[in-house]
Amino acid sequence: MAAEATQPERLQSDQIAGWMRRYGADLQRHLTGMLGAEDDAEDVLQSVWLSAYRTPPDMGPGSNVKGWLFRVATNAALDRLARDRRRRAALNGRAAELVPDEHAAPDEGLWKLSEQARARIRERCARLPRKQREAVWLRWVEGDDYATIAGKLGCSEESARANVYNGMKRLRRELFVVWKEEYGR
Amino acid sequence: MSPETCPIPDERLLAYVAGELEGEDELAIATHLGECQGCCEEAAEFTALRGVISACCADDVVRWHSFRAPFGIMYLAATDDGLARVSWQQPGPDAFVHELEARFPGRLIVRDPDALAEAERQLREYFAGQRSSFDLPVDLSALSDFDQRVLAAARRIGFGEVVPYAELAKRIARPKAVRAVGNALGRNPVAIVVPCHRVIRSDGSLGGYGGGVEYKKRLLAIEGRRDLSRAS
Repeated sequence: MAAEATQPERLQSDQIAGWMRRYGADLQRHLTGMLGAEDDAEDVLQSVWLSAYRTPPDMGPGSNVKGWLFRVATNAALDRLARDRRRRAALNGRAAELVPDEHAAPDEGLWKLSEQARARIRERCARLPRKQREAVWLRWVEGDDYATIAGKLGCSEESARANVYNGMKRLRRELFVVWKEEYGR
Repeated sequence: MSPETCPIPDERLLAYVAGELEGEDELAIATHLGECQGCCEEAAEFTALRGVISACCADDVVRWHSFRAPFGIMYLAATDDGLARVSWQQPGPDAFVHELEARFPGRLIVRDPDALAEAERQLREYFAGQRSSFDLPVDLSALSDFDQRVLAAARRIGFGEVVPYAELAKRIARPKAVRAVGNALGRNPVAIVVPCHRVIRSDGSLGGYGGGVEYKKRLLAIEGRRDLSRAS
């Protein structure tokens, strides 16, 4: 196979090179702000350019490439922070309880929760007030939008939204208790 | 910026993590996260939480639903293995959910009308006299082996047919356990679908019914057995 890039691929590369020049420094600063380390920011930024190459953003009228790049970068940084948080928790804790997951990527397997921790997290979710629990579950496990949740729970969209927020806030407090007890952060 | 002085409320961060914001709103939060360590930490926590919840809570859920039926509000619950509760004698949804929590300790109880739509449809058809058997899996695994055997035998009694307690005891090869059979039927969690109302006394009187003997009479009437109206 010839390694020569086709016309659209070259165009796309040129385009991405243009975005790198225009937005690269801002994105690097943004990611360093989020991640705290320039190396980590560079890593994540590389993954952003790769995403832009693989699934290019919409460039039609009214589209916002800068917005797209910031969103992809921010989400990648949040995923990394979330993963680091779980991995740190796992490594600090009782490693013997961590179950390797054959199907997970190598670094994901490190922080897979033990069945005991999963059961305790389920139990915390189960203890939420009924409407909060149901709304959180429909939103985050089933992936329903607020209109669907309102229909299923027989409440307004506003109330569905409030129940998800309040449930998540409460779970956030509760799950850190499990986190600490389980892994001794 | 410290979390105390940050003007961005938690709700916005959660909405961002959930992918609910668009355009300028979304960009404003994304940009802010690069500038505010507190909000960035918080958004990372929500992201971690989201992953943990979907990983831990997808299994072992008990789903419930309620609908208006001729007997009043009918409450249904199902596990992944099948229908686990049919009840129309609940003061309200909270009481029903408490009952489910006691029945299924440690399980997540959630309202999910879609999951029980088929059970509702079949029950509505039954009440309307348009259905004589239920094609629904049931989950009786929370019951003892004996209770499960009694209910399996009861499930084989056909529409409009009645069988005495003593006969049901014989069918499970425990001819002397007539009273125990009656008690097991009284613990039937999925009334109507497992037709314990079709088990009556040898003298033709109705005997007891967990939901009240009046309902036993009404269920048998739906099945064309108006001849069986004698209470015990």
